[in-house]
Amino acid sequence: MVIENENKEIEQLIRDLAGKLLEEKQVDVIIGYTEGTVPLSSSPIVIDKAEDVDKLIWNNLCYINLAKYLVPRIPTLMNEEGQKLKVGIVSKGCVGRALIHLSVEHQLDLESIKIIGIPCNGIINRKKIEDEIGEREIFDISVSGDNIIVKGRDFEKVFPFNEYMNELCKVCQVKSPPFLEDICVGECLENPVIEDDFSDIAEFDSKTTEEKWEYIKSLLETCTRCYACREACPMCYCNLCFVDQNQPVWFGKTTGYSDIFVFHLVRAMHMAGRCVGCGACSSACPMGIDLNLINRSLEKIAKERFNFTTGIDPRSLPPMMAYDIEDKEEFMMEED
Amino acid sequence: MEYKILKKDQIIKLYNDLTKDYNFFAPIKEKRNIVFRKITNPEEIVLDYLNSKVPPKEILFPEKDILFEYKINDNEIELEEPKNLNEQNIIFGIRPCDAHSFVLLVNFFSQGDFKDEIIINRRKNTILIGIGCNTPKSTCFCTSVEGNPFQKDYMDVFLVDLQNEYLVEGISDKGKDLIKKLSWLADAKEMDIEKAQELKKQAEESITTKLDLKDIDKILDPNFDHPIWKEVSETCIGCGTCSFLCPTCTCFDVIDENVPNKNRGRRIRIWDTCQSCLYTLHTSGHNPRNSCIQRVRNRILHKFCYYPENYGMLGCVGCGRCVQLCPVNNDLRTIIEKIKKIEPKREEKVSA
Repeated sequence: MVIENENKEIEQLIRDLAGKLLEEKQVDVIIGYTEGTVPLSSSPIVIDKAEDVDKLIWNNLCYINLAKYLVPRIPTLMNEEGQKLKVGIVSKGCVGRALIHLSVEHQLDLESIKIIGIPCNGIINRKKIEDEIGEREIFDISVSGDNIIVKGRDFEKVFPFNEYMNELCKVCQVKSPPFLEDICVGECLENPVIEDDFSDIAEFDSKTTEEKWEYIKSLLETCTRCYACREACPMCYCNLCFVDQNQPVWFGKTTGYSDIFVFHLVRAMHMAGRCVGCGACSSACPMGIDLNLINRSLEKIAKERFNFTTGIDPRSLPPMMAYDIEDKEEFMMEED
Repeated sequence: MEYKILKKDQIIKLYNDLTKDYNFFAPIKEKRNIVFRKITNPEEIVLDYLNSKVPPKEILFPEKDILFEYKINDNEIELEEPKNLNEQNIIFGIRPCDAHSFVLLVNFFSQGDFKDEIIINRRKNTILIGIGCNTPKSTCFCTSVEGNPFQKDYMDVFLVDLQNEYLVEGISDKGKDLIKKLSWLADAKEMDIEKAQELKKQAEESITTKLDLKDIDKILDPNFDHPIWKEVSETCIGCGTCSFLCPTCTCFDVIDENVPNKNRGRRIRIWDTCQSCLYTLHTSGHNPRNSCIQRVRNRILHKFCYYPENYGMLGCVGCGRCVQLCPVNNDLRTIIEKIKKIEPKREEKVSA
């Protein structure tokens, strides 16, 4: 099926399931996506009435990981009496993975949510499209057949969807959330098995340490430290982030080279075995920094050393939460 | 007023002439973003940009500004002030909205009991050679906030892109003197000026976002506790994109960096944002703005209520960066529309 038709089916699936959950009072609210007000965007939305389900949409610009709205840093959705609301959450694969991992980290009670599983067909790489268009304003972006059509004042350009989706989406093997009894509705994956050869980062991996360092330096130098990456990340839920600590100040707060690297690299350390590969950080970055290679490298380390893929099984302990005498440790001592 | 013509291939000459006496800042493409940099190669200048990613406020008010360096010798403290404060700058190719924002920045940093000499001096030593926006973006709304895509009042010299060349107009005395020095500039013809007027008209007409901001402070003032704030902050994730890339946001933090065991260090001003969880956090641990609701409200009230009350003008220049770049598309224009729909409180209706 072409992407355009898949989108229509996914959208219908979302509306049908959301309407049913609200009508049957299985949930109080639904968190989903709605049409953005500017091209290349979408907006998260919370609805609480079945008649509003037509506001829910699916297109290939629904890049925010909605699990972000259920983690503690942002207050839990409550009703006027202060009681927790039962939430239905529109979940592409990476949203489902984030929810599962958050429950593993005891940040979320899966029993209090309904996962509305959808078969995600990929997110458009907004930055790549913007790079191609250059200093011209995009008025409209749509998917027609298997192509992305971008229109502006005096131009119309066609991009093949499979080339212009996020790099993470190209290698994603968990397009729908892993299935959980009594929690999931819609399309989910039963016991997903992840086989990943990480060939997409093979070239990066083959670089020398110096070359990697040059890449990372050049990648991060435009960072303004607005923390959009952190705030869009469902795994960044600390009440006080390490860079915000000010008694004592542990890390420099400026946009000088070393301070930027320390922020991003320490954040990366915290993401090992936790990143679900949703790409929300890169999509959110206003400066166009794409953290894809860093995140995939983390995923690779967790997979190769601990045979762990984040957010697949709510019963398996992630490597950073478990200790095994057989755990590999040579990388701490000898490797680059 | 005398108008001149600058041919597009003469920008290099212009740069060469001015760079002797001035730090020459201009828009260039750095990585994937248009930003203002002190340039060394005039061929890098991009003048037909839509809107720079980071506003040129970073020249007056850098993300990282060293206020002074210090050394401690025995009991003496030796302070070293920043050296480059008296350097003369030119910002070439600044857009009207960003030039407008400089007025707001200077208001903030110069009024009241404490004057920020560093920023005030930088502004005094900076000449703006601006350029009109022939093709404003659909997210631009300068005409709703006392601005205009061809507003030249805040410039020293104003350029209009006539396709093959630029029409040059000296606005301030400084700007007029500068043009006199560039004696090689050709005189403009009547038809050039007419063409510029036509472009101005077209640009104004092409602005589709119209916000009615008249008396918005009077709507906001009594509605501090209105449920609308919960509604418009519901999807905010609390990042600083809107404020860091806003040309009028002025919040900053001041930090000291000490070199361990060397008895020296420096004091640095960095950007801060009212969207951060640290903003207004008290030493006691209490934070009067501890949720997104209060922080989003603060940003809107600051621009559309407090700023007008304090300075008699709106705190927004309509550049549309926050509209364009918010990761969750929490569109300022939508927020304004919702605010405009707030029903006046009943008792006020009676009194009116």
